[in-house]
Amino acid sequence: MNLDLSEEQQMIIDMTRGMLDEHCSVDVVRSTEDDPKGYPDELWKQMGELGLNGLLIPESHGGGGLSLLEAAYVYEELGRAMAPVPHFVSCVMSAGVLLEAGSEAQKQEWLPKIADGSAILTSAWYEPDHGQGEAGIQLEAKRDGDDYVLTGVKRSVPYASSAERLLVLARSDAGVELLLVDPDAEGIRSSFFKSQGREPHYRLDFDAVRVKASERIGEPGSGWTTWDKVMHDGIILLAAQAIGGANRCLMETVAYANERVQFDKPLGAFQALSHYMADASTHIDGGRVLVYEAAWNRSRGRSIARLAPMAKLFCCETYRETTRVCAQIWGGVAFTIEYDQQMFFRRAKHLQLSWWDTPYLEELVAADVLDS
Amino acid sequence: MDFDFSPEEQKFADEVERWLVANHDPVVMDHHRENFSQLSDTPERRAFMKKLAAQGWLGMSWPQEYGGQEIEGVYEFILTEALARHAAPQIGKGIGIIGKTLIRHGSEKLKREFLPQILKAEIEFAVGYSEPQAGSDAANMQLKAEKVEGGWKLNGQKMWTTSAHFADWYWVGARTDPDKPKHDGLSLFLIPMNHPGLEVQSLPTIGKDTTNQVFFEDVFVPDDYLVGKRGRGFQMISEALDLERFTMFTLSPIAGRTEVLVDWVKRTKRDDKPLKQDSNVRRTIAHIATDTAVARCLSTRFLCAAMGGGKPPSTQSSQYKLFTTTLSQRVCKDALDITGHEGTIMEGQEEAPLLGRFEGAYRATMNETVGGGASEIQKNIIARRHLGLPKNF
Repeated sequence: MNLDLSEEQQMIIDMTRGMLDEHCSVDVVRSTEDDPKGYPDELWKQMGELGLNGLLIPESHGGGGLSLLEAAYVYEELGRAMAPVPHFVSCVMSAGVLLEAGSEAQKQEWLPKIADGSAILTSAWYEPDHGQGEAGIQLEAKRDGDDYVLTGVKRSVPYASSAERLLVLARSDAGVELLLVDPDAEGIRSSFFKSQGREPHYRLDFDAVRVKASERIGEPGSGWTTWDKVMHDGIILLAAQAIGGANRCLMETVAYANERVQFDKPLGAFQALSHYMADASTHIDGGRVLVYEAAWNRSRGRSIARLAPMAKLFCCETYRETTRVCAQIWGGVAFTIEYDQQMFFRRAKHLQLSWWDTPYLEELVAADVLDS
Repeated sequence: MDFDFSPEEQKFADEVERWLVANHDPVVMDHHRENFSQLSDTPERRAFMKKLAAQGWLGMSWPQEYGGQEIEGVYEFILTEALARHAAPQIGKGIGIIGKTLIRHGSEKLKREFLPQILKAEIEFAVGYSEPQAGSDAANMQLKAEKVEGGWKLNGQKMWTTSAHFADWYWVGARTDPDKPKHDGLSLFLIPMNHPGLEVQSLPTIGKDTTNQVFFEDVFVPDDYLVGKRGRGFQMISEALDLERFTMFTLSPIAGRTEVLVDWVKRTKRDDKPLKQDSNVRRTIAHIATDTAVARCLSTRFLCAAMGGGKPPSTQSSQYKLFTTTLSQRVCKDALDITGHEGTIMEGQEEAPLLGRFEGAYRATMNETVGGGASEIQKNIIARRHLGLPKNF
């Protein structure tokens, strides 16, 4: 039993952090906040060159073939830097779906481009007035000869304006399908929305959009099973991202609490405030090990049905609560745009609500504990 | 990174588990005693500890010259968690605090007298640090030790000596040098518990057993029974907490209660509907299970730091204790909320859900966030040593 990093793992962390320090300063993050494109080209290029985009893609398809554990270390750094990049939708979810259920031709076509960053794929999942489970997939995919005809609405599609393909979850007679759709296809209307975490989001209206059945990933009706499996990997990485963000938020607050003086004492000398920080650090350090344990189990081929939702549930709440108590320590300035605290505060809640929210995760854990 | 025990460690864990199953005895191992199950306070439990000693499992981490095996502390961690999981007595204070301190600081006489008895489980100790004026401010002990011909005369009072009513010997901190700064004026003594100058008064608790206060009236202790150097008592007490780090506070009873609750929810109906279909219950269970997993992670983090040697893992241990004891109480509270009005039926009566396990545990765990360093003390340690914040009191 040990929590030590291998030399290679430490190198990945150092390399990622070094690159992010250089190319993902807070100013860079701020510059993307209202931008409909939403990510800086230089940062994206650097990630591709360092091999971070192909981290989880096998070497045979142009990637690095590393495990989810290494990816978790990288995601902690991305969270720390609040990196505004389409990495999760493209390199984790889309690549993951292709790896899990794609045909060899589909993999050959897309994985090398995802790995070097030359193509971005994003997922069109959420729908208005529907939940985050299988039943929430209601966009119609009507079979017509060799085509599916898509009609319905998708919302909160990240980075859609930059995507070369949309991974659309749709409902056919057979069940849920995963379809690769060209965002420029006739019948798609796209509109930009700002999100709480300032990830660029789009609403996509599908009006009888034709897509070839050969663009389906996996067998008819197998879409949700594939999506669910890849999501379990994905949420471990988002939990790591939450820990990275929470820890930086806390460390910046600790530094401030050592400097800022009130009543002739540094803020950190008040127990009411230092205990907030002690609690936050306990949750962050415990949550981090939970992320590692989940990722390590996945890399060993063991079940993560319980650990993965636990990790996202706990770490996202830790991130949210950390940003709340840190705001108490910063005081009024945390409320201003000028200070960086608000950036963590908004992102923490955004992340908690996205990619399976608290009630959904609670139910996943409960089902595994009580029903299995 | 590795979340499994090594094959050798796992083999030992399996061996201990098989032995505990084979030696199961409901008189010795009783989950309803909750945290008091760790005490060897009855003839049956003392006999059990002797059997454990015969297995060679006491003092495994001690040096060979004192009858130990010099093996890594992780084996004592494994043993301690297994004993706690079965609600069996713990290897406890003798092996950890007293034995290890005597090995490092004790005279030859004290080593010869006590170490063999400890290894054979022939002796039980009570530990006396707390006093009316020395609670969280542990170094503020006032028990007076006056130098007299051939020894010391002790007068004063100790609080919270849980084992005083059955122990053989008393391990006591007393102030030998009142003119020195408070951390440098304390010394450690060994006193037979049946000393006529000691008066043990029971302090009944809402938990499963009594604790005690102990009054000292002209208790004479020969010079030989002052442990180590005069005036180094507080340093030895702190060091012992560090030496004791593999066996300090067990997770198994808490994780075990989570399992008991889950199992009960799975097979219980209310208004003819399975309880586990209640969405509030599901939500509660999800959070308890998740936080129990996090507590295990903090235990792993602490264990890995302890195994790595080097700096004592004091902040890891504080984080673990803070989180786990808070969780321990919440599991009991949530369990009672789930049982609803039936939860009021006091433990020990047939009609109580789970024979009142959680009614009793709710009371028994009340003190966990206070004893052994209150949560607020743990937070002070984390704030100062882990986060580098200024002294805050």
